[in-house]
Amino acid sequence: MADVLSVGVNLEAFAQAISAIQALRSSVSRVFDCLKDGMRNKETLEGREKAFIAHFQDNLHSVNRDLNELERLSNLVGKPSENHPLHNSGLLSLDPVQDKTPLYSQLLQAYKWSNKLQYHAGLASGLLNQQSLKRSANQMGVSAKRRPKAQPTTLVLPPQYVDDVISRIDRMFPEMSIHLSRPNGTSAMLLVTLGKVLKVIVVMRSLFIDRTIVKGYNENVYAEDGKLDIWSKSNYQVFQKVTDHATTALLHYQLPQMPDVVVRSFMTWLRSYIKLFQAPCQRCGKFLQDGLPPTWRDFRTLEAFHDTCRQ
Amino acid sequence: MRPFLLEGGSVSQMPVAEGKSVQQTVELLTRKLEMLGAEKQGTFCVDCETYHTAASTLGSQGQAGKLMYVMHNSEYPLSCFALFENGPCLVADTNFDVLMVKLKGFFQSAKASKIETRGTRYQYCDFLVKVGTVTMGPSARGISVEVEYGPCVVASDCWSLLLEFLQSFLGSHTPGAPTVFGNRHDAVYSPADTMVQYMELFNKIRKQQQVPVAGIR
Repeated sequence: MADVLSVGVNLEAFAQAISAIQALRSSVSRVFDCLKDGMRNKETLEGREKAFIAHFQDNLHSVNRDLNELERLSNLVGKPSENHPLHNSGLLSLDPVQDKTPLYSQLLQAYKWSNKLQYHAGLASGLLNQQSLKRSANQMGVSAKRRPKAQPTTLVLPPQYVDDVISRIDRMFPEMSIHLSRPNGTSAMLLVTLGKVLKVIVVMRSLFIDRTIVKGYNENVYAEDGKLDIWSKSNYQVFQKVTDHATTALLHYQLPQMPDVVVRSFMTWLRSYIKLFQAPCQRCGKFLQDGLPPTWRDFRTLEAFHDTCRQ
Repeated sequence: MRPFLLEGGSVSQMPVAEGKSVQQTVELLTRKLEMLGAEKQGTFCVDCETYHTAASTLGSQGQAGKLMYVMHNSEYPLSCFALFENGPCLVADTNFDVLMVKLKGFFQSAKASKIETRGTRYQYCDFLVKVGTVTMGPSARGISVEVEYGPCVVASDCWSLLLEFLQSFLGSHTPGAPTVFGNRHDAVYSPADTMVQYMELFNKIRKQQQVPVAGIR
């Protein structure tokens, strides 16, 4: 039989394998039938036992034989799916009712789409890495894979050093008071009060500024539990706008090797808001535009502009 | 909080010259505000009652009885304000009214002295604008315009900014800087400062009434 069945015509081998399975199933059920029926009536007890054992042995032998036959056939059938590029899912193409279940064509489209996505994502990641907005010294991507646990050294500065930098900045600007607290572990939180104009909550990670919220001088900056409320925004549109600009400033001022310079530059920039309500726009010369004062401060010249007047 | 009052007189003089009533002027103002993009936010009311020092408590030295003004503002519904002209401003709970009844022997309410302003509250960005009709008894006497710029707590800091805003809907009829923050340069603005301005406005309007009366006599 093995000569007749070549690997190429394994459809026939399939048919034979299926009938071999059927044979195996029937012989197995015969074994259980025999066990169920128990010993048949014979004259002597000895004769009864002998007949039962012989019958049981015969049945087991036939099971063994059928199983061997099935194993032999299964080798002939082989593993056709392994040759297919889509592995087992390629078998979906064998489905004859394409119109009702167009799974295979959908699958191919999804596969093409995800391939393209991966390609474009790769290109985008390459481009973005050239103009990185990351403020920490180590670049993500390849190096991150190489040493996933390594922290950049600027992130593990001792708290004492952070305290020193902040208190030096505090002394630099008399109209600005900085209150440092550490409510959650080693990360510092600053409450900056600028004259009688505004209050800023600054969330630090070592000497990096992670988040800032700007609120009015008369607004509550504490949550119900007495900690600084770093999530809720100001009720006033003007301070919501300033918060947006301050977040932009965080991304603008970056110098990974000298984080203390970054904090100082940011605070110098922030200090220019002391004239938030008193400085007219340097471009249009007016105070108000759409009901808002000039909320933008140039990063270099610190001049006041409306959001839409800046260049 | 940072309210400012326009001198009601200077605003209402404009329409009088053109032959318009107080009501028409208020409508003109609110229409201008709505065109600017301000949104209506309910109504407001500020009232003021005058009290004399009772004659029995005055000494024989001939000292003049002081006037005391008891005021309410719907913006601060749980408070009652008691002010002397050029004097201190007391901020108390609304129970203060009951206390004044008990103090009849010392302070007597002046007859028909109640003056109040009622109108609509408008919100435009961080600005709160209240345009009200000032009434004394049955008749309308003038218009009050209050502008509050919430984000700024020091009055003199944002005066130029407020002036620009006022010009956008009042045109050339903008007032001079209120006297309240001329003397205290960087003090934080309080509700009492608003009430002092309303008291001064009401007094001015009362005097305007008295002048023509005297002329007739």
